[in-house]
Amino acid sequence: MVEQILESLSRFLPETVLVGALCLAILSDLVFRQNRGIAPLIALGGLFLSLYYVTEQAGVSQQIFSGMIVVDPFAVFFKFLIGVTAILIVLFSFYSSEVQSTQKRIGEYFSLILALTLGMYLMAGAVNLLMMVLAIELTSLTSYILAGYTREAPDSSEASLKYMIYGALSTGLMLYGISILYGLTGATDIYGINASIAYNGVNEVTLLIAVILILVGFGYKISAVPFHFWTPDVYEGAPVTITAFLSVASKAAGFAMMIRFFRVSFIDLTPGGFPDEMWVLLQGIEWNKIVAIISVLTMTLGNLVAVWQDNLKRLLAYSSIAHAGYMLMGVVVLSNAGVAAVLIYFMVYLFMNLGAFYVVMLVANKTGKEDIDSYKGLGYRSPIVAVSFVIFLISLTGLPPTAGFIGKLYLFAALFEAKWIWLAVVGALNSVVSLYYYVRVLRNMFLRDPAEDKSPIEFSTAQIVVLIALVIPTILFGLYFAPLVDFANASIVMFGVR
Amino acid sequence: MTLQAVLFYLLAAVSIASAIMVITRRNPVTSALFLVLNFFSLGGLYLTLHAQFIAVIQILVYAGAIMVLFLFVIMLLNLGDSQSLREVISLRKLAGVGLSTAFLLEIIYILGFRVSDFPAGEVTRGLEIGTVEYIGQKLFTDYLFPFEITSILLLAAIVGAVVMAKRKLD
Amino acid sequence: MISVEQYLALSAVMFVIGVVGVLVRRNAIIVFMSIELMLNSVNLTLVAFSAYLGDVTGQMLVFFVMTVAAAEAAVGLAIIIALYRIRQTVNIDDINILKW
Repeated sequence: MVEQILESLSRFLPETVLVGALCLAILSDLVFRQNRGIAPLIALGGLFLSLYYVTEQAGVSQQIFSGMIVVDPFAVFFKFLIGVTAILIVLFSFYSSEVQSTQKRIGEYFSLILALTLGMYLMAGAVNLLMMVLAIELTSLTSYILAGYTREAPDSSEASLKYMIYGALSTGLMLYGISILYGLTGATDIYGINASIAYNGVNEVTLLIAVILILVGFGYKISAVPFHFWTPDVYEGAPVTITAFLSVASKAAGFAMMIRFFRVSFIDLTPGGFPDEMWVLLQGIEWNKIVAIISVLTMTLGNLVAVWQDNLKRLLAYSSIAHAGYMLMGVVVLSNAGVAAVLIYFMVYLFMNLGAFYVVMLVANKTGKEDIDSYKGLGYRSPIVAVSFVIFLISLTGLPPTAGFIGKLYLFAALFEAKWIWLAVVGALNSVVSLYYYVRVLRNMFLRDPAEDKSPIEFSTAQIVVLIALVIPTILFGLYFAPLVDFANASIVMFGVR
Repeated sequence: MTLQAVLFYLLAAVSIASAIMVITRRNPVTSALFLVLNFFSLGGLYLTLHAQFIAVIQILVYAGAIMVLFLFVIMLLNLGDSQSLREVISLRKLAGVGLSTAFLLEIIYILGFRVSDFPAGEVTRGLEIGTVEYIGQKLFTDYLFPFEITSILLLAAIVGAVVMAKRKLD
Repeated sequence: MISVEQYLALSAVMFVIGVVGVLVRRNAIIVFMSIELMLNSVNLTLVAFSAYLGDVTGQMLVFFVMTVAAAEAAVGLAIIIALYRIRQTVNIDDINILKW
């Protein structure tokens, strides 16, 4: 037992580093009361070190801690993605006037970001329903608090409470589903559930209810319709840095967990189980049909409602709901190509979405406004920021030559390959709708005169460097995407599968 | 009827009645006290299932810690009778109740017609697995990892609760 | 003899009472109590399955669900206090949920 735990610990370094940094950040705030600059540096250092250990885990495929979590290429991919996002968010926080205005509690802010990152790392690797619940709960609790971090603003506390009530409700429903699933199969680890369904067979109606209830929990995390109600309010009310973090990392962790849960629990794992790269469903419950419906609802509602939004944070919130819908299409097709497409999309989405939120933050820092009208004439007031924003928005629409196009291309290719033509058509129509509201922002920036203030907006060099660091991959991956595709294809390998 | 059956029906009646009282009382203090009653009846139900350890911590953690927290906040915010809110019935709420009832009927159907594959028969190995020794042994071997993660969850919750609740009164 | 279905029916009824409470009540504190009801009915399901399956896993899950419930209650009540200080209300309809 002890040997096994020590062995597991050596595979658990990224998370251990985060826990250490978390405790140090809290302590530093108590010890160095005068110097508030230490906690952010500890957070940044901890995240970099943990990202280094994540890259060290490349190629490992192992179950650790009595089969509670796994370290496999799939988990490593998502941990890498989440780690990069967390580092960028910490960098954003240095320049966010919203966050810096809460100077007194800055230590807790960074320690909570570390706890949130840890929760997402665990979500990426959890293979036991118990671990899934704990990881979701760690992620959710810290997100509730961070969403309400700038408590002086009433919006922020409201966002927190809404987030919390919806979150607690969906956790409750998910737990009920888990309890039924446990009763049916007598197991809580997903390999055991698979074995029980494959060899003993279970009642389909009961299984369906359990799966739908568990899907509520996942749907909440990835903000899929109809579990999205919290998203716009929370994205609008929370500090921009946290909104950006939730929109990318939290969604990624949710997808990682959902794909792993469905892939391992309800797909035939026996050798020779999949003839030509298509997965074989166990028993009769076609959960992918349910996911297909959710996907269509999610992207359609996200895009249609985004058209009416005047606040840019809300607009991006609905756009992120729509993007969750696109990515769900990759889960529907039941093939490795589909999952690889989701991974590619996430890598691309990381840069373009964080970039868009970063621009919103920079502009809000200077003008104090987030509505679309305040972007009038931004093209003249700050050309670099405006042009970068254009690139991010084009990429979010999915037009060449940006990375967003590559993401969509692989998704649609996977759909066509699996004969899901109608879903691909719905996805394509949705992209057209999304063009409309993204162009509305572009038009405001370049074709409209600024309402009152025409003075140029200046940004510091460091801020521009971070911006450029996000623009480059957004364009580069649109032109040279082979390494991205290779990375994604290598990362679809899950422990115990194939 | 066996003792287990008598206890089951008695405690089931108490727990459902108290649950209904929790969500129908206007004064949050009354609700909280009925919730404590509900927790106690559940503790009794756990005993009928031979889950001694769970029954004890149900009382200690829920009735002892969580409910005290609730009552403390109600009193801190001074939400007595005067603060009770008038509840309104809206279309959304009716829809919610309708959906919930449909869900309930569905579950009852599944259970009632025994179309499920739930384990049948009697409580097996109950006296063995419900004890503190057995659970403790599991907890610090197979479940050591989640146990440790729980400590981080609680640390984050403590930090968060302090951050949210501590604020200069101005 | 009491069968597992009877325990499950009881917990289903309690769960739905909890869900109705969350959906219908406007007092945020009572909403949180309803969530505790839901979590408790989950615990009852788990203990019942655990007993009839003769497998301790369900009881282990209950142990962790209780921890989660405690953490959730602490954070939730702290958020309510924070909001109350700003708005002097615990009414969740005052904070227009479901705005498009």
